[in-house]
Amino acid sequence: MAPGEEERRGAGGQDVLRRAGDASVLILTSLAGGSRHGYALIKDIKAFAGVELGPGTLYGALDRLERLDLIEALPAEDRRHPYRITPAGVTALRAHLDSIERVRVAGRLRLGLGGI
Amino acid sequence: MRFVRTALRCYPHRWQSRHGEEAAELARLLMRDGTPARSIAWSYFKGAASTRLVLHPRRRLGAAVGALLAAACSLGVSLALLSSSAPASAANHRPSHEGRHCVAEGTARSSVPIRVTADKPAGNSVVISHGQHC
Repeated sequence: MAPGEEERRGAGGQDVLRRAGDASVLILTSLAGGSRHGYALIKDIKAFAGVELGPGTLYGALDRLERLDLIEALPAEDRRHPYRITPAGVTALRAHLDSIERVRVAGRLRLGLGGI
Repeated sequence: MRFVRTALRCYPHRWQSRHGEEAAELARLLMRDGTPARSIAWSYFKGAASTRLVLHPRRRLGAAVGALLAAACSLGVSLALLSSSAPASAANHRPSHEGRHCVAEGTARSSVPIRVTADKPAGNSVVISHGQHC
């Protein structure tokens, strides 16, 4: 099995992002809207999630996502590497969002806030 | 920017050749936006540490073992210091302890040495061998 293959498949073969950390999910969500480089990612994530990723955290998560083949680096433009989400990344993000959605619905129902 | 460059030099060479210039450029842009250089440098320091640990799992194991050994050593030293200083401090504090905190039944002070039993910790008072309470 290739390095990272087991990690990519995940424990249940579904939600590989469960253990990847919040930064990875935020980055994939940002890249789902189009390819971006580091600075644009930080700004976009701050805009939609209100979270300011540190540059060290960003590059750590980018390396991890790249190792998992969930994103890929595009050719550099003016010393910046834009990143793009891969089809595997889209699948992983969708599985993770479905998982979060189930938790959200259950939580709202149990709090008496309605399931929608 | 000097702190940031120092932090970037902590990354493995492969990482530096891949992301180094881009990371420095990103730091410049973030500083231009008002992010303190120290916080950027700190983020890169943390990133460098975790990158090195991820790239070298054996080092991660070594670091964990080292941390455990260091914790065990410091605990041992602390216990040794405590056990060596306990008799001396007990000798220094015994008269005041007897006088201030322990009241014998019917007397305010007692010059008789007292022994606290270990098997009666209930409540706020500790029963002492000959009817005193703390």
